[in-house]
Amino acid sequence: MARNFLGHESLAPFVEILAGRGELHGPVLTDDGVMTFGPVRAAAELQLGYRRTLIPPKKFLLHPCEPILTYAPDTGYRLPDSPVPEIILFGLHPCDLQGIAYLDRVFLGDIPDPLYRARRSALTLVGLSCEPDEFCFCGDLAEGESSACDLFMRQVAGGFELEGMTPQGTALLEMVAPYLTEGDSPPPPSRTCALADTIRQAAARGERFGESPLWGEFAGRCLSCGACSLCCPTCYCFDIRENGSLDGESATRLREWDNCLFRAHGEVAGGGNFRKSRVERFHYRYQHKYLGFGPTRGVVSCVGCGRCREVCPVGIDLLELFKEGDDDAQP
Amino acid sequence: MTLSRDQSLLPVPARVRGVRELSADTTLYLLSMEGGEGERFDFTPGQFVQLSVPAGGEAPVSLAGPPRGDGCLELCVRRVGHVTGMLHRILPGGRVGVRGPLGNGFPLNEWTGRNILLIAGGLGIAPLRSLLYALLMRRGEFGEITLMYGAREPAAILFKEELADLSSRRDMHLFLTVDFATEEAPGGLTCNTGLLPTLLRGVNFGTADTVAALCGPPPLYRCVVAELQGAGIPAERIYLSLERRMKCGVGLCCHCAVGDLFCCSDGPVFRYSDLQGVSGAL
Repeated sequence: MARNFLGHESLAPFVEILAGRGELHGPVLTDDGVMTFGPVRAAAELQLGYRRTLIPPKKFLLHPCEPILTYAPDTGYRLPDSPVPEIILFGLHPCDLQGIAYLDRVFLGDIPDPLYRARRSALTLVGLSCEPDEFCFCGDLAEGESSACDLFMRQVAGGFELEGMTPQGTALLEMVAPYLTEGDSPPPPSRTCALADTIRQAAARGERFGESPLWGEFAGRCLSCGACSLCCPTCYCFDIRENGSLDGESATRLREWDNCLFRAHGEVAGGGNFRKSRVERFHYRYQHKYLGFGPTRGVVSCVGCGRCREVCPVGIDLLELFKEGDDDAQP
Repeated sequence: MTLSRDQSLLPVPARVRGVRELSADTTLYLLSMEGGEGERFDFTPGQFVQLSVPAGGEAPVSLAGPPRGDGCLELCVRRVGHVTGMLHRILPGGRVGVRGPLGNGFPLNEWTGRNILLIAGGLGIAPLRSLLYALLMRRGEFGEITLMYGAREPAAILFKEELADLSSRRDMHLFLTVDFATEEAPGGLTCNTGLLPTLLRGVNFGTADTVAALCGPPPLYRCVVAELQGAGIPAERIYLSLERRMKCGVGLCCHCAVGDLFCCSDGPVFRYSDLQGVSGAL
């Protein structure tokens, strides 16, 4: 039997070991009561039983608004040379790990994004098992617990079972070895979710639910607030803006989270718009989330974290489309 | 040319070498790439660049010149927003930045032996001018070459002198039309009045073995494509250059998706057969 059990009483020294390797961030509660991935000062701050954070961990890889270029008459265009800190991200649930695996696929593809690549290689991911609530439905959508993380911690009676997934994770295991004992927990029950299956099957047949009356209903209620994309671990659309300086000669080019439900998303020069109506924008969102564009064609990017269903102020839930299809299938 | 890694963000410095006013709001810019990038700059007609105007921002612009491979590029730009407004204030010698070439371009090599029909509406002449010159540089490889160009009014016709020269060539056909004419057509040009689909109906362009390449505003596509199909050109031989506001130009930012294709990296040139059934494509 492997020595991979970390008792709750050993969490504090383990967290200290992690903190010694870089900036440690994990699920903590802010003063105003928001669950967030934030700096961890002590193990006691960690919210081990947390359901989900408001903003997903994508914020560590794609900052909400960041300079990608500077321009000055004497230096021309330059990439920013801001330092990239080593970050240890503790306590990611399988859905969020899956989200990062998806972003890796996009930003480390044929033309790797230099900023993303630098931050990703300075990031150590420590996964944590979770209990589903009424909003999430990951089931098989978050394919196993291993995707993307370096070290995975399965919560069991009295502590955690640790598993190294990458050389980096194995190195961490070695560092924490003095605190590990032999574990004898039963293997985790496989978690299935009927909805996840339905989604996968619908996406595989390229289902668009073109005739569904739900589209009109969603569009009628939507406030275009963009909360669903902000909190989505795989929504990565970005806008590029030029922030001119007061001297009129230099500028910073910014990359900023964008949102496909905003009207400006489909605009072209001269004011034309290819997605004028909200229904069209919902179709676009659905297409990206479940059917994919370009190199992610055929990849379902929804990881079942449940954030969008929880935060939508008017209770819009794209999953109703799939449920509707299911009802039809049953006589 | 393949895109070097850093070009996904970083523009290559370029200089404005020439400025030619084409109409009240549209200007042709001749740029040369700096720092040895020029020799490496080669493109296919239909491709575009992301043009950076210092302290203004970046905008996607299609390449309008012949693919000469000499590091010079021509961009035909209408003053229509913030970035293009600032570009129009730049004088010869001024500095800009270029990322690209980006996108796929027209597949000229698949067209050899065929008749080629180019249909441009308004500013859509820009990429088709590039395409036309590329075809004429390899004139012997293609059948009949026809350019149909429609503009709003005579004053809005771009490249008037070049069109006058082209109209006297014996190895191609040129047809011009304006939506409405309140003035005489500019010197040396024979110009019809009416919309492009009407013009199309009156011209015998030999549909057998013909490839059509279109660029113009979306309403043009909707009516011209129907005309072309009616005349017997199959959807897979009708090529359209689509407009979207590409921000990153490399298939990341997700502003330009057309169905499940990206206009910036899978396009901007698409076969009509790939767009049929894609809602919001045209």
